[in-house]
Amino acid sequence: MNRLFRIARREYLAYVRTFGFWLSLLLLPVGLSMIGLAPAAVDRSVPIPRVTIVDFTAPPAGGGESLGRAVGAALTAHEAGAKPAGALTPAPGAPFKDVADATARLKPYLTGNTALPGGGRLDAAVILSPSGDTVAVDVWSRDVANQHIRDLVGETARDAIRRARLRAQGIDARALASIDALSPKIADYSPKAETGRVSLKDRLPGYLGLAMGLLLWMVVLTGAGMLLNSVMEEKSSRILEVLLTSASVPEIMGGKIIGVAAVTATVLTFWMTIGGVTLMARSPGIAGDVGAILLGHGRLLYFGLYFLGGYMMFATLYVTIGAFCETAREAQTLLSPMMMIMTVPLLFMSQAVTHPDAPLLRALTWIPLFTPFMMAARVASDPPAWEIAATALLMFGVTAAELWVAIPAFKTGALAAGRFDLRAFAASLGRRSEA
Amino acid sequence: MVVEGLTRRYGAVTAVDDVSFSAATGRILGFLGPNGAGKTTTLRMVLGLVTPTAGRIEVLGDSDFSRVRGRVGFLPEERGLYRRMTPVAAIAFLAGLKGVPGPEARRRARALLEAQGLGAAAERPIRFLSKGMAQKVQLLSTLAHQPDLVILDEPFSGLDPVNQQSLETLIRSLAERGATVIFSTHVMQHAERLCDQVVLMAGGRKVFDGTVAAARAATPRTLTLEGVFEPAAVADLPGLEAPVVSRLESGGVRVVAALRPGAPAQEPIRQAFARGIDISRFEVREPNLHDAFIVLTGGGGAAP
Repeated sequence: MNRLFRIARREYLAYVRTFGFWLSLLLLPVGLSMIGLAPAAVDRSVPIPRVTIVDFTAPPAGGGESLGRAVGAALTAHEAGAKPAGALTPAPGAPFKDVADATARLKPYLTGNTALPGGGRLDAAVILSPSGDTVAVDVWSRDVANQHIRDLVGETARDAIRRARLRAQGIDARALASIDALSPKIADYSPKAETGRVSLKDRLPGYLGLAMGLLLWMVVLTGAGMLLNSVMEEKSSRILEVLLTSASVPEIMGGKIIGVAAVTATVLTFWMTIGGVTLMARSPGIAGDVGAILLGHGRLLYFGLYFLGGYMMFATLYVTIGAFCETAREAQTLLSPMMMIMTVPLLFMSQAVTHPDAPLLRALTWIPLFTPFMMAARVASDPPAWEIAATALLMFGVTAAELWVAIPAFKTGALAAGRFDLRAFAASLGRRSEA
Repeated sequence: MVVEGLTRRYGAVTAVDDVSFSAATGRILGFLGPNGAGKTTTLRMVLGLVTPTAGRIEVLGDSDFSRVRGRVGFLPEERGLYRRMTPVAAIAFLAGLKGVPGPEARRRARALLEAQGLGAAAERPIRFLSKGMAQKVQLLSTLAHQPDLVILDEPFSGLDPVNQQSLETLIRSLAERGATVIFSTHVMQHAERLCDQVVLMAGGRKVFDGTVAAARAATPRTLTLEGVFEPAAVADLPGLEAPVVSRLESGGVRVVAALRPGAPAQEPIRQAFARGIDISRFEVREPNLHDAFIVLTGGGGAAP
């Protein structure tokens, strides 16, 4: 036990004392913060585009706001603290004969060759003209990627045309406004919902399950990769040979697996603490719901069970593979098929949010390599106790069988020289007593 | 340590074939043999790394190595340490695995490093140390738990003459402390200077087990005669056999012949002078361990 602890401790310290560990620890929260803040920061730094509107359409029959005014109002409207879609500027060189004339004379301002009379450049021009029984909307813009102005103008024009047509049919403005305000009151109900009525809290387990499944997938992938590299490094530098004369194979394997588990646990605890604090600060209600979901119905135990089983199953596999590899290329060759298998749960986990009880997903749950991911993702369906017990039994049974194979194989691999030899690996299975 | 009838087969290949020997407490045993002789496989079996196909091993009075591994120190042939660790941490870690409590392990690590002139490098990551310094650190890591049995696989390889000398001193001090030291080597001079007992291996079999003096005694002394004479004239001198003739640059010849066991060296010399053979130089040479190695291994594995 003492040796196991010492190996685990060394493994843990070997990682947490590296610069890379701290970098990866901070990278995710910093990265996520940047993803969250970047759009706002970019938006703040971009000046409000100057837009000119040229309206060739006739004023609405019976009075009312012209189409050009309606579009202008939509472009300049904004909530407190937000920026409008555009700032209106008079069309330079107006009046124009027709659309072609307006286009030709506004183009130099849009290309930047000619400055606006008051200085500055023209960013967009909206030319509205009659087209049969509807309206043609030409939106010229310097920024072809930004479709915000186009969408806003299009929406406003469509609305204005619709209103004008309805007014022409004899519907007055007040009746039209009251019709527009009509909306059905939709409510979701489910017998599984706590109060009968479905709320975000009832949908959260599905999202939380998917998050846990993905988290486990990530932990397995990074943790197992760390283990593989660690063993490979020790094998190529022959430290493993010395370790094998100082501790038993289960102590070495166990120490390494626990050490790396502690590293990933440190990272997860840090990330979850930051995530939890941020959620509590920004959305205390959702934070409370997440806490209640995790703590209720034994879900923490549920996730813990599949986390432990999944990590053990893959960690054992990767440690053993590492003992047979001396170079990254050898490891890559052995791991490629494994990586292909690992993509299967990744493809199906997201489906579990909406269809947690789909027959295909339930079937995948019974494949031990996919069990931890699929069961975590299917948490929303509250799988029955027998299913949890049976899949857990199968998962831990496979892990035990894996260990039974891995212990002699690890020793054979650690002492073998040269490339991975399938025959040596197969022969090692019959030499259990050596471990 | 006692090894009896130790055999290890890999399929049709017999790497170690019915090897028996023992190493007494406080003695230094040299485990000699050419490449592929089965030395490392034998040591791996003793260390519990490889299971014998047949035979019995008793280490420090116990047939189960796992029960005594805390009292054994092992330096593998191919060296390696955690490159990011400091010498103190690496030595203390390995000593810790052998059961030395943490603070004591660190204290011993510092003391050993100081004693070996590595005190200044004690807290420097191993990757920044020279190869010789790193090798020394690894050797110290096998000794920090004060083992009763020390097994060193080719400990002198890669060391400069000064460090080789220092290692010899260290090995002697271990034996003086009461530890049993077993080391494998190709370099006969080290074994000759250090060993109380040598075990010679060839082709997976033990070909000799005894003292250095006994190994030498199993090898004939040689008589060298130089001068201007016909080689045939010295071939029938009494007590000589297997003469090897070579031409000297000065124009004469050199004959190196083995002296038959028990034959006095004076007799063929006296006879040569009595027969008027023109001898300008003669030399009787006692065999060394290198000669014994060549003879006992059948010449198949010439030592460097």
